[in-house]
Amino acid sequence: MAADLFSIGRSSLRTSKKSLATTSHNIANANNEGFSRQVVTHEVNTPIQSGKNVYGTGVNVKTVKRAHDTLLEKKLNHSLAGHQYNEERTFQLGRVEEVFNEINSDGMNKILNRFFNSFRELSNQPENETVRSVVRDNANLVIRDFQRISGSITDVKSQIEAKVEYAVNDINSQAQAIANLNKEISRLENMGGETGDLRDQRDAAVRAISELAPVNAFEDNKGQYVVNLVGVGSVVAGGMINELQAGAISNDNVGSYKDEGRVEIFYKNKPDTPITGSIKGGKIGALIQTRNEEIKVLRDQLDEMAHGLVHTTNAIHRRGYVNKELPVDQNGNVVAHPSLGKITGINFFKEPLDFERASEMIDLSDDVKEDLNNISTGLAPNSPGDNRIAVAISKLQHEKVLGGGNKTLEESYLSAVGKIGLAVSKSKVNFEQSGGILAQAKSLKERLSGVSIDEETTNMVKYQHAYNASAKMIKAADEMFDSVLGMMR
Amino acid sequence: MARVSEASSFHAIQHAVNKTKSRLEDLQIKGSTLKRVQKPSDDPVGNIDILSIRSKNIDGKQYERNASVAKAQLTFTENAISELTDVLNKAKEIAVAQASNLFDVNIRRGVAKEVEQLKNQAVSIANRRMGNKYIFAGHKSLTKPFNEAGEYLGDSNQTKIEVQKDYFVPISFNGKDIFYEKEGLPLPDGDPLAGSPLADFNKKVKIDGDQVEIDESLNTPVNESENSNQENFNRTPATEAERAPELGPARTSVFSDLQKLHDALITDNHEIIQDLLPKLDKAVDRLIESRAKIGSILNTVDSAVESVQKQHLLNEEYRTQIEDADLAELFTDLTRQKNVLDATYKASAQLMNKNLMDYIN
Repeated sequence: MAADLFSIGRSSLRTSKKSLATTSHNIANANNEGFSRQVVTHEVNTPIQSGKNVYGTGVNVKTVKRAHDTLLEKKLNHSLAGHQYNEERTFQLGRVEEVFNEINSDGMNKILNRFFNSFRELSNQPENETVRSVVRDNANLVIRDFQRISGSITDVKSQIEAKVEYAVNDINSQAQAIANLNKEISRLENMGGETGDLRDQRDAAVRAISELAPVNAFEDNKGQYVVNLVGVGSVVAGGMINELQAGAISNDNVGSYKDEGRVEIFYKNKPDTPITGSIKGGKIGALIQTRNEEIKVLRDQLDEMAHGLVHTTNAIHRRGYVNKELPVDQNGNVVAHPSLGKITGINFFKEPLDFERASEMIDLSDDVKEDLNNISTGLAPNSPGDNRIAVAISKLQHEKVLGGGNKTLEESYLSAVGKIGLAVSKSKVNFEQSGGILAQAKSLKERLSGVSIDEETTNMVKYQHAYNASAKMIKAADEMFDSVLGMMR
Repeated sequence: MARVSEASSFHAIQHAVNKTKSRLEDLQIKGSTLKRVQKPSDDPVGNIDILSIRSKNIDGKQYERNASVAKAQLTFTENAISELTDVLNKAKEIAVAQASNLFDVNIRRGVAKEVEQLKNQAVSIANRRMGNKYIFAGHKSLTKPFNEAGEYLGDSNQTKIEVQKDYFVPISFNGKDIFYEKEGLPLPDGDPLAGSPLADFNKKVKIDGDQVEIDESLNTPVNESENSNQENFNRTPATEAERAPELGPARTSVFSDLQKLHDALITDNHEIIQDLLPKLDKAVDRLIESRAKIGSILNTVDSAVESVQKQHLLNEEYRTQIEDADLAELFTDLTRQKNVLDATYKASAQLMNKNLMDYIN
C-alpha cells in the first residue's frame, strides 16, 4: 500500500520534472525563430484492480508534441516565396533604375540633348573650329553614356546569374538536409522518440527553399516530407534528392547573342531540359524574370537607339563635304585627288555597326577622331559658311526616326525610363503588400507555435507545485512507513 | 481570445516601428532635398515629364543663343547696308548734279575721283567681315566675296538658323542679292522656313527596323552642277548656272553702276549719267527694301525669343509642380509621422516591459 504511494509519487515527480524540463526548454528557445513550443501531455497510468477497489497508479508522460499547424506552415511558406520574390525584384529593378536616374545628375537624356544642341551651335558658326571640338566632345559623351548604361545593365545581369547559381546550390544543400532529417525522423519515430526539434529543423529547411522558389511540401504516410518545386517537380522524396544545377546552357541553338552563355537551371541528370522559366516565384523567380524581361527589353531598346542615332547621323553627315579648301577645275567642279583623303561621304560615327550590341560598340569614326575638319557642316564643297548638314543633324533630335518612324530618340529613351520606373514602383507596392501578408502569416504561426513567457511561467509554477506536492506525498508515505515500522518494535 | 507569444508581439512591434520609420525616412529625404521625385519610380510619369521639360529648356536656351547670333549678324548686316545706302545716295546726288552738260571737264574729273572713292568704299562695305566671316559671301564665308572690280566670287546661298523649334530665319544675305540688279531676282524671302529641313533628307534616310536605306550614290564626290539639285534644301534662289541664260552675264551691280558713273564723268558723257539715275534710284530702293526685310526678320526673331522665354517659364512652373516637394504638406506629414512614431514607441514600451515574472518571487 505505502509502496504504491512511493511509486505514484515517483511517477508524479518524474512527470512534473519532465514537464518542467520542457517548460525550461520552451523558455530557453523563446526567441529562437522557427522554434515551436512543445506541449507535454500527461496520461493516467493503468489502474490496478484489487478486489472491489480500483487503485490509480499515478501518471506518466504520454507525448511531448510541438504546437504546429500544417496549413499555417503552408501559408507561411507561400507568403515567404511571394515576399522574397517582391523583395528581390524591387532590389534588382532598383539597381537598373539607378542606371537611368538622372534627377540629380546628368544622364543620357541630357547628354543626347546637348549633343544635338552642339550641332545647333555649330550651325550658328560652321566656320568655328572650337565649336567643332565641342561637337566631338559631346558625341564622345553620348558614346560613353551608351557604354556606361549598357555596361551597368550587363553587370546587373551577370550578378543576377551569379545569384541564381548560388541560390540553386542553396536549394540543393537544403534539400539534402531535408532528406537527412526525413531519415532521422522516421528512425526516431519508429522507436517512439521525440522529434519536435528535428521537425522544426526540417520545416526551417523547407522555409529556406521557399525563399528561393515556391515549394509544395507534404508528409507521406511514413512521416517523411516530399518537397516539390511548384511548376518544376520534386527535389526531395523521402531520403532521396533530385539535384538541381545552374550553368551556361550547352545548347547550340541559342536565339541571339544575348543568350550566349546564358545561365539556365536544370536537373543535374537532364542538362538539356532547362526549367528556368518554370520558376515563377521566390528569389529565383524574381531574378529570372528581371533578367528575361526588363533587362532584355532595355538592352534591345538601347541598341535600337544607338543604332538609330549612328545610322541617321551618318546618313546625313555622309552627304556633307570636309571643311577644307578643295581644288576645283575651270567649271567649278571639285577635282578629287588621293592626297586630299576623303572629301565627302564621311561617317560621323563608326560604321559598320550591327543592331546587336550597338550600344556597346558605338564609337566615333576614325576620320572624325583624327581631324575635326572631317566633321561636315556643308552640303556643298568649298562652303565654310554652309550650315545645312549641321542643321539637319540637329533636327534629328525632333525627328521620329525609331520604331519605324514612331518615336524620336528622346521619346524612345524616355519610354524606357518610364517602363523601368513603373516596374519599380509597381514592385515596391507589391513588396509592401507582401510584407504585410508575410507579417500576418508569421504572426498567425507565432500565435500558435510561439513561446509565451507568461504561459511558461504559469506552467512552471504549476509543475513546481505539483512536484512539491508529490514530494510531500512521498514524505507522508515515508512517515507512514516509519509508523508501521515503529509498530514492529 | 488570441494567444500571444513573445515572437508574435515582437513581430508586431517590429513591423509597426519599421513601417513608421521607413515613411519618416522617405519624408526626411524629401525634406532635405526639397524634391518630391528622387527616382523614376517615385513618379514614373512625372519623371518623364521632368526629363522632357529639362531638355526642352536646354533647347530653349540654345534657341535663345541662336537668336542672339541671328540678331547680331542681322544688325551688323543692316548697318552695312545702311552705310551702303549713304554711299549710293551720295553717288546719286553727284549723278543728279552732274546730269546736265553744264560742267567743266576738269571739275568732272575731280568729281570722278570722289566717285571712285565711293566705289572703293562700297566694295569695302561689301567685303565686310563679322569676326572671320564675310557676311555677303553666301556659303563661301571665308572667301572675299568681291574683288576690286566688284565681281562677285561668293555663291547665292543663304544661311538659316533655328530660333524656335522648327522656325528658321535667314541670317545672311549673299552679295548677289544685295548688290546686283533686281530684275527677276526676288530678294531672299524674309519669312521663316516652314517645316523641317530634314524633309529632303528623309527621302534618303529611312530607318525601317534594322534596315537603313541610304542613297549610297551620294557617297561619291559630286560636282557642282549635280550639287545644285540639292540646293532646294534651304530654298535658296536658283544657282548661278540656272540663272545665267535668262539674265545674261551683263547684270549690273552697284559697283558697275558706280564704275559707269565714274567712267562717264571721265569721258564727260552726261547721257550715260542720266541713264544711270533711275538705276541708282532702284539700287537705293532695293537697299531700303532689304533693310525693311532685315527689320522684319529681326522682329520675328524677337517675338520667337519672347515666345521661347514664355514657354520656358510655363515649363518651369509645371516642372516645379511635379518635381519639387510641397513644403507645407511635407512638414505637416513629417510632424504627423513623428507623432505616430512616438506613439508606437510608447505603446511598444508598455507591451515589452511587462511579464508575469515581475510579480512572482
